[in-house]
Amino acid sequence: MTELPEVILVEDSDEDADTVQQAILRCSTPVRLHRVLTGDACLALLQQPRAALPALVLMDLNIPGMDGRETLRIIKRDPSLCTIPVVVVSTSANPRDMDHCYRAGANAYHLKPVRYTEHRDAMVSVLRYWLDLVLAHPGRGVQA
Amino acid sequence: MTPLGAPPPPAWHGQAYSTKRFGVSITDCDSEPVQTPGCVQAHGALLVLRPADLTIAQVSENSTDVLGMAPAALLGRPLQDLVGPVHAGLLLAMLQQPEIERNPGYAFTHTAAHSGVALDASVHTVDGVAVLEFEATGRDASAQRDFYALIRRSVAQLQRATTLSALGDIACAEIRALTGLDRVMVYRFHDDGHGEVVSERRRDDLPSWLGLHYPAQDIPEPAREVFRQTWIRPLRDVDGGLAELLPLTHPDSGRPLTMTHCALRGPSVMYTEYLRNMGVAATLTMSIRRGDRLWGLIAGHHYSAPFQMPYDLRAACELLAQIVSLQHAAAEEREHAAYRQRIDSVQQQLVTQAAQEGGLEALLDGPPTLLDGLDTGGTALYHRDRWWCAGNTPPVQALDALRDWLSARPEMLLRDRPLFATDQLSAHYPPGQTFADVASGLLAIALSRSAKNLVLWFRPETTQTVHWGGNPHDKPSVVGPHGARLTPRASFALFVESVRGRSKPWLAVELEAALRFRMLMMELIIARADQLAGLNADLERSNDELDAFAYVASHDLKEPLRGIHKYAHQLAENMAQLGDADHQRLAGLTRLTLRMDSLLDSLLHFSRVGRVALQLEDCEVGEIVDEALEMVAARRGDKPAAIDVPRPLPSVRADRVRLREVYTNLLSNALKYNQQATTVIELGWLAPHETAARTAQAAHTSDKGWPAAASGQTVFYVRDNGIGIEPRHIDQVFKMFRRLHGRDDFGGGTGAGLTIVKKLVERLGGEVWIESTPGQGSCFYFSMPADPGLGTAP
Repeated sequence: MTELPEVILVEDSDEDADTVQQAILRCSTPVRLHRVLTGDACLALLQQPRAALPALVLMDLNIPGMDGRETLRIIKRDPSLCTIPVVVVSTSANPRDMDHCYRAGANAYHLKPVRYTEHRDAMVSVLRYWLDLVLAHPGRGVQA
Repeated sequence: MTPLGAPPPPAWHGQAYSTKRFGVSITDCDSEPVQTPGCVQAHGALLVLRPADLTIAQVSENSTDVLGMAPAALLGRPLQDLVGPVHAGLLLAMLQQPEIERNPGYAFTHTAAHSGVALDASVHTVDGVAVLEFEATGRDASAQRDFYALIRRSVAQLQRATTLSALGDIACAEIRALTGLDRVMVYRFHDDGHGEVVSERRRDDLPSWLGLHYPAQDIPEPAREVFRQTWIRPLRDVDGGLAELLPLTHPDSGRPLTMTHCALRGPSVMYTEYLRNMGVAATLTMSIRRGDRLWGLIAGHHYSAPFQMPYDLRAACELLAQIVSLQHAAAEEREHAAYRQRIDSVQQQLVTQAAQEGGLEALLDGPPTLLDGLDTGGTALYHRDRWWCAGNTPPVQALDALRDWLSARPEMLLRDRPLFATDQLSAHYPPGQTFADVASGLLAIALSRSAKNLVLWFRPETTQTVHWGGNPHDKPSVVGPHGARLTPRASFALFVESVRGRSKPWLAVELEAALRFRMLMMELIIARADQLAGLNADLERSNDELDAFAYVASHDLKEPLRGIHKYAHQLAENMAQLGDADHQRLAGLTRLTLRMDSLLDSLLHFSRVGRVALQLEDCEVGEIVDEALEMVAARRGDKPAAIDVPRPLPSVRADRVRLREVYTNLLSNALKYNQQATTVIELGWLAPHETAARTAQAAHTSDKGWPAAASGQTVFYVRDNGIGIEPRHIDQVFKMFRRLHGRDDFGGGTGAGLTIVKKLVERLGGEVWIESTPGQGSCFYFSMPADPGLGTAP
């Protein structure tokens, strides 16, 4: 049996996490969703021994402890993790935040709209794109 | 013919000189042999003696009148035959004393046998001969004066003088009191040789000469040389005539007599004529020396009559002149110390003022100002890319060129002494000729290493400041009996040329004060830089805090908002059994969250408007308006709207994106707040000359709605036929989140649009204002300065 693609959601807001959950339900591809509340938890999860890298990390910026920007930076600097697509999902439209994330290697930057349906539909699009359309990195062993 | 360049031989070529015979032939004062005039003033008699046996080698031709014996009866005879063995013995003893070499001393008083007149005899030695001079004593036995007591008082006063002018004033007063001369002056030689009357005491009815300047030629070099060697020079009677020595040269050596130290030395024809031109009858002149340098003269003039100056009076005056010379350096030092103190106190005050007011304006606003420190005609300071001027200075363009020139001078690049000073700028810097009147003298210090920032002090040309004693425009030149040639005034024109382009020189104390001022300024500038760095840090901190606030607004406040919206949405979706009223409430909840969201977005946008750097470029306003119209097209909806552009919009230097935002906001408002069947919007502009005229008209009609600052700027306007604004609301429309209508009327909105417009326009250096008639429409104006981005509101 092939493992389901894994999505890590770094999000401290239960409401927003639920919106992502709702979005996953509307996607055709089934996924394993791992939700963590903090950046530290995200890194700990990624450092566990695993068969395959996660298919996607959805990263909120404003999270407790190590914030999303720093977590992103650490992932993208780590040669064993940097191929994981990290998509930032934030309320901040501040160009400074956007610049910071793209420079750190974010694969995309999305705004969270206040309107629930817009938010949910945006998440559906993001998941479909990264899980169905994009060809993921071939995985470990190839780079060697 | 005389070869070019060589002076013609004098008229007495090959013969001994005598003023009486050849004085009139003098064409050049500087060649006159004033130390060997061969003549004495005719009121006294002079004998040249062989020191060994006191035989008479030469005698003045007037010996018969003065002494009662003809020259022929005296020449070759021992002195004893004239004055008797006692006086001759006394003289012989005196000649053993070395003090009398070139220094006349009183020998004895001889009563002329033929006239009964008492004659003082004084003696000195020079060039191996003894010179014995006889003059009437002028003493009245009943009015013996105690010169010692008088002088002691004078000396005490001179010692107390704290300035050179006080010293000069005391000297004049004391000498006048001692002698009774009509006028006593201190005459100072400036570095270029010309003279100035710096102190004066005079008979009340005489005009003052204080402050008058005289050409250097008025006191020719040979005369100055005499005053370097002798302390005093009396001329008893300008019209007294001359008596020649017999023979004119010494019979043993064949040399003319050196008369430098003789009280009776005959004056040059030039000198007596000069005095006669001024109406002077007698003079007494003393030197003021600083070391070997002749600093000036104490000049006494007597007008009413010949002036009797007996030996003891002359000796007293001579002593005073020596004391003035001795006290001179001390008085000058005290004066400079006081001047230094005054400059320092003014400069300290200025820098303190500037530090408190935080601007260099304080240096020039006063009182005091930079002009009150150094004695100067004008001053200019270059700092922060502009000139700050006070007093008389060259124009700014000339200052710029001068600054460029100065910054290349090696003196200005010295680390500890970046200073350049001259009293003749045009000699170093030829373009300086054009402003020589105000700035012949320049003292410059650098405030920065590259000499980019400077302080300049200017001194006017001397001819601009002085009163010429010999100015032919003040009084006609008097032509003497020997013709204009012998009139010293003729030298005046030449003299004016010689001081053209020159100023009063800078004193060492002034240069040092300028350098101290530099130190104070540097400290001030460094302190300012620290202060600014502190302010910048504060500003950065407050910007960061604003960012943090914006972040909080965008993220932390929105997060719960999103949650509320979501639950309201889900409730409405899932609870079909809810009544209509509850549905409405849920719909209201949803709408409020969205409204809150747009308020937060506006707030965020507004906080960024002021801080994003401007990107200035030349923008075609027409193109920008087209883009803005496209962006607001959605809002136009189905309602007809006519956009009228009466004449093509110009090009301005501005930030394209921000200018477009101004237009989108104004156009969007114009479209929104309109209830006419057809919305009509006019987009126009006023050129600088038109705004100038419009501003003048507004001032004339006391129209307070039109800002004075708009004069000369390009002004754009957006005029609509909309609902208009009540006058009492006009000030409110620019306030953040301030709406004049129900929040859902006219398509809703956050009420931030005009606040953002105002901030954008101010950021670009302009102003926004409104003319409006309720029910008829509004016109929004905004101005664009020629040099945008320099607006005060960031």
